[in-house]
Amino acid sequence: MIEEPYRWVEAIANRREYIETQLAPGSPIAALNYRDGILLVTVGHARQKLFEIYDRIALGAIGHPGDIERLRMAAIELASTEGFTRSAADVSLRRLAFYSLSPLLKTAFEQVYGAPYLARMIFAEVGPEPEADLFLRVEYDGAIAAEAGLTSPGFCAISGTTRATEAMEELLRRDHDPKATLHGAMKVALDAWSVGAMPIAEDAASDLPSHPALLDFRVEKLRGATLEACVLERNVTTAIRYRALTANELATLSA
Amino acid sequence: MVASPDAPALMQTHATTILAFKFSGGVLVAGDRRATAGNTVVYDRADKVLEIDRHSIMAIAGVPATAWEMARVLEHSLQFFRRTQLQEMSVDGKVRALSKLLRDNFGFVLQGVGVVVPIFATYDFAGDGQARLYFYDAMGANFEVAEYAATGSGSPAVRGVLFYENHWGKKKLPKLREEDAVTLALRALDTAAESDTATGGVDRAAKIFPIIKIISRDGIRTLPEAEIAARFKSTVA
Repeated sequence: MIEEPYRWVEAIANRREYIETQLAPGSPIAALNYRDGILLVTVGHARQKLFEIYDRIALGAIGHPGDIERLRMAAIELASTEGFTRSAADVSLRRLAFYSLSPLLKTAFEQVYGAPYLARMIFAEVGPEPEADLFLRVEYDGAIAAEAGLTSPGFCAISGTTRATEAMEELLRRDHDPKATLHGAMKVALDAWSVGAMPIAEDAASDLPSHPALLDFRVEKLRGATLEACVLERNVTTAIRYRALTANELATLSA
Repeated sequence: MVASPDAPALMQTHATTILAFKFSGGVLVAGDRRATAGNTVVYDRADKVLEIDRHSIMAIAGVPATAWEMARVLEHSLQFFRRTQLQEMSVDGKVRALSKLLRDNFGFVLQGVGVVVPIFATYDFAGDGQARLYFYDAMGANFEVAEYAATGSGSPAVRGVLFYENHWGKKKLPKLREEDAVTLALRALDTAAESDTATGGVDRAAKIFPIIKIISRDGIRTLPEAEIAARFKSTVA
């Protein structure tokens, strides 16, 4: 049955619907650059959602923990192999995502007898200057939304649904300031997270919620959850630019 | 270091001087810049004090090709562990990883090539939060030291200087301030270079100074050459 073309299309459509339903409750992740690098922020329950992939590359993911784990390992292995056999300078997010991860995800998604990856990922790579920063949203079917065309807007977001992601992007487009301090960037990132996590009414106007409304929502949500954030530092002398923010830093920055 | 009477060349191959000691601000690791082959100086700007991760340094005496490759493998394996396992490797794990690299290399050492005798310094954040300092032999045995370590052909002189300072100096090594620690390191290396041709010490004419790195709780800091030059001028030269 499945050999018939329209059956295959139907199977793929069902699979897409199933995955979207599974991803829908995922906690949003916001990434944006600021004066000294790139900041990634999310809110979670115990399980770590932001990861170090290589010296300059960070990953944030929503979806099934097992699938995220497999993809994370694949990304680290690819980057580490390249970095070890050639050099750290030869590790690039663009190549990692477009030439390695995307085909892997697409194959798994379209092999309808096998299981697809239940994961949506956001990658960030810090460059020598803000214009060279790269943000990629990698979907479960291998599609990649590159927020950086020729001119990088300097931010990116993922969430459970397309509408929530669009709302986050709208807020980031309005509030993101590449010259902001880490404190300022954290404020914007938290607002973006709140917009993405807020339930959207069907008949909602397209206007973004006000800052106080976002703050109230966030304070409420953070009672039963933990804030998680990491940075990719642009101007440090060490090779490793990834750094997870400590609980103390988070307390100060989010106050 | 290597108890093989058939391999007399071994003692000549790790020609250099590396030293490390604990002081009030953490661990200071210093090395001269000279690389030799037999009695020829092949390179006078070698960097033998290598950063492995945010808080670990491997300083090498021995054949550069093997030593640098070992440092590279060690650096990558520690990073790969941290990234995949989402936690730092324990100090014991790191120390053993270097042991294994040395042991795997011992076949080459017996053939007379590739002997490496490193020092490893790090911080034990999972344990008591204190600095840890180790030296190795060419077979991979590791020895933890309380105060100081030195390896390479110039090390007997350095060990003498550090022992003397630690016992009869104005202050014991762990109580030294950073300026005094740097002075002591420069003087010790100069002492080694005085009698050991394979140790570069300070090249006064070409203005080549030893490499000095300091590991503290905040990470690793490489002392700027200008700072070392100034200290050398005021307290050593």
